[in-house]
Amino acid sequence: MNMIDVRVAAIEQVTPLIKHFKFVKEDGSKLPPFSGGSHIVVALDAEGRTYRNPYSLMGSPTETDAYHISVRRQENSRGGSAYMHENISVGMTLKITHPVNLFTLAKMAHKHVLIAGGIGITPFMSQIEDLNRLGAEYELHYAFRSYKQAAFVEELQKACGNKLHCHSDSDGNRLDMEALLSNQPLGTHVYVCGPSPMVVSVLETAKNLGWPDSNVHNEQFLAPPVGESFKVQLAKSNLEVQVPAEMSMLEAIEAAGVQAEYLCRGGVCGRCELSVLESDGGLEHNDHFLTESEKASCKKIMPCVSRTKGKRLVLDL
Amino acid sequence: MERGYWIKSKPIYTSLVWHEKATSHLVLASGIGGMAALKLFQQMHPAQPVTVLYARYAQMEVDYSETLKKVVPDNLHVFKFEEDLLTELKSIMPHMRMGLRIYVAGSEGFIWEVAKAVKPFGVDDAHIMKEQTDTLARNVYCVHCKAITKSVTTNIVACCGCERMLFVRDHFSRNLGAYMGLMVDAESPGELPAIEEIYP
Amino acid sequence: MALNFKQESFRDDYTYKNSAEAIKRFPFPFPEDQYMYSVNIEPHTKGKPGSVYEFPFDVDEHYVAECHDRAITLAEDAGRYQALPHMMDAQWDFLELAMESLANDYPEHFTLTKNGSVWTWENKPLGICDTFTFGDITTLPREPFDYMGRQVQGDFVLLDQRDETLYADAGMVTCQADWSLAFNVGMSWREWHGPVPRATELGVMDRALKYLMNLQLANPVRRLNWTMTVNPRLDTSPENYPHWGGDRNKVNADNVSELIHLRVELQSLFRLPRSNGIVFSIRCYLMSLKDIATYPRWAKRLHRVQKTMHPDLIEYKGMTKFHPLVVEWLSQFDDGADIGIGTQPE
Repeated sequence: MNMIDVRVAAIEQVTPLIKHFKFVKEDGSKLPPFSGGSHIVVALDAEGRTYRNPYSLMGSPTETDAYHISVRRQENSRGGSAYMHENISVGMTLKITHPVNLFTLAKMAHKHVLIAGGIGITPFMSQIEDLNRLGAEYELHYAFRSYKQAAFVEELQKACGNKLHCHSDSDGNRLDMEALLSNQPLGTHVYVCGPSPMVVSVLETAKNLGWPDSNVHNEQFLAPPVGESFKVQLAKSNLEVQVPAEMSMLEAIEAAGVQAEYLCRGGVCGRCELSVLESDGGLEHNDHFLTESEKASCKKIMPCVSRTKGKRLVLDL
Repeated sequence: MERGYWIKSKPIYTSLVWHEKATSHLVLASGIGGMAALKLFQQMHPAQPVTVLYARYAQMEVDYSETLKKVVPDNLHVFKFEEDLLTELKSIMPHMRMGLRIYVAGSEGFIWEVAKAVKPFGVDDAHIMKEQTDTLARNVYCVHCKAITKSVTTNIVACCGCERMLFVRDHFSRNLGAYMGLMVDAESPGELPAIEEIYP
Repeated sequence: MALNFKQESFRDDYTYKNSAEAIKRFPFPFPEDQYMYSVNIEPHTKGKPGSVYEFPFDVDEHYVAECHDRAITLAEDAGRYQALPHMMDAQWDFLELAMESLANDYPEHFTLTKNGSVWTWENKPLGICDTFTFGDITTLPREPFDYMGRQVQGDFVLLDQRDETLYADAGMVTCQADWSLAFNVGMSWREWHGPVPRATELGVMDRALKYLMNLQLANPVRRLNWTMTVNPRLDTSPENYPHWGGDRNKVNADNVSELIHLRVELQSLFRLPRSNGIVFSIRCYLMSLKDIATYPRWAKRLHRVQKTMHPDLIEYKGMTKFHPLVVEWLSQFDDGADIGIGTQPE
């Protein structure tokens, strides 16, 4: 997967818990345009392991001199958010993926109702750029604990005008989901991104009112399948290969100089299939090729996307 | 003859049942489709508001309107012709809201006329519950002259536009509301396979 | 690499000819003696210099003639181009991809100059020069997909990704092997593929869909598809079947090697940035049996593949009438020698 080299151009403390990062391309050229709602995965090498954290892209999807993300420092963070807050500084270089979109706008919607909770506002910030550009009808409902903790309210007011509705807990101005979804015109799509209870509330309210599932969208992040590192013993080649957390088995085998069959590198064509001779844990099948029973038998594996839950695998290669 | 074109892609129709979760319901029926509407009310009377539009004369000149008047509590509108039902449908759609569930029962032609009528209001046909009644006749789109020949009960038909003899494949286009018809004797002019009435 | 663009026809008098160079770079699709249908998708990465895989979009000696043939088809039937209203972002995505690729890879024939969002595009082989504002449809003579689709070889379909599937919501289709864009436009993956012959293939279709739903920006993929056509005819559409269907009756033992063409589709798929759609490019290569036999290795391989082809597949590809003649003609080149795996000519 080819990554893009970027430099941190600016960091802004937006609220006590939220930092806004601005990335530019290291070679000075424009970053690729993207579709509103996209995210990137930022790869951070730290303390012997690689963090791979997805962050929604804010900012204009079409004017891409820079990419903008916001990171909320998670409580009890073992992971990337603490690292981003504490160790990333202006001028540092990072690797990011190309944008990926699992939270797209429905192009044929007659109206879009956007519901954001806290840091969940971020994917909507690029979506509203697209919606404004396309002249679409929409409402953005932004729920947060207090204005002090709410990021980007001013920017949103500028971008959305009276399409923005703020719901601050501290004002007692709670968002009435049922009222909001009860009186929308046909062809409305609703989008939610925020804490789990809020997402569940939107999904359930919409369902109970009779909204079809395909008109209800919520953001999910599916990071590429990386897990822990493990060892692979190649029986025929008589070689032991270390598979690091951020590499696929196939990539690690190739890096060790061994010729392995492959074609699609995405878990569907079956070409890279290998026989498993021994394993000390269950197999983590991420492919769409093997049947359920083949997966359960743990005798075959697709090294381009799959891994082991254990520490060691012996393959017939 | 068939040219080896093997794609079969037909919509799947079901028997109408009420959606459990809804804000309101809209039932559209034509001809024998009136029976499907009656079956719905036999299951139960939903708590939410229901509107029923019924066209008496479809393919079979069967009229369920009297029975429907007894069973449907209110908001029943009866029409003589499908065209009038569709006109009324288009006029009430702007007042409808998300949470509306739509049900259609009638010939395939009627079903897709309804789908076409509600599409501009943002309703995807996948969300319309559809029951096929009255006839298995198919509308046929001539891929050569683009004309649509309606209510075809045979496997081979003369195109109403260019008069070529068309073989009607089981490949359906929701946008066009029709099956594809391809010239059957381009390679051997005049030689036709048996014409069978298998879509009565 | 400067190309020598030919003046030739793909209909009526069929003056189409392949140069020796074109024959050598032909994407012969059979690596083994027996053909098996599969999800043969691979990354569309830069291939060997001079090969059809070198660049994202391949331009060859037939470029000008193919564009003219397309223009004729479109003038006769505007329905061979379709674009549903919500696909405008995808149209611009395609225009950008095609213009940037052509200008980058064939600089002696195409140039693209950008001044902010004001672009100047020059297509020397077709004598086109236009300045326009990217994103502003009023500044182009035709809408972006229509405009650029007429300047790249091969058919194009723009797919919208929604509701866990892909929809064919726009297309420029003038060199297809037997499917109708006017009929298929707006269909979902399942609807336009339907069940393909032989049950195993349905699993193949579902897997291919999953793979494509996950297609990433800057990571295009490609595969080869093939069939056989009578005459080097690009427009073998269902629409015009009454005009070309009868050609099947004209094939005999004397003319089979000149009339029958192996038709290979280099299919490539690119994720599009602003629309999150996918462009499906179907690039068509036609080679007569006679020209294929320039390379004995290809003749032997083709003979063995055709001899062992499943009759259902022969029927599905519309080859039944002339297939025995093809196998018979190719048999003269097959000495039974082991030629190994691979598609290379020698």
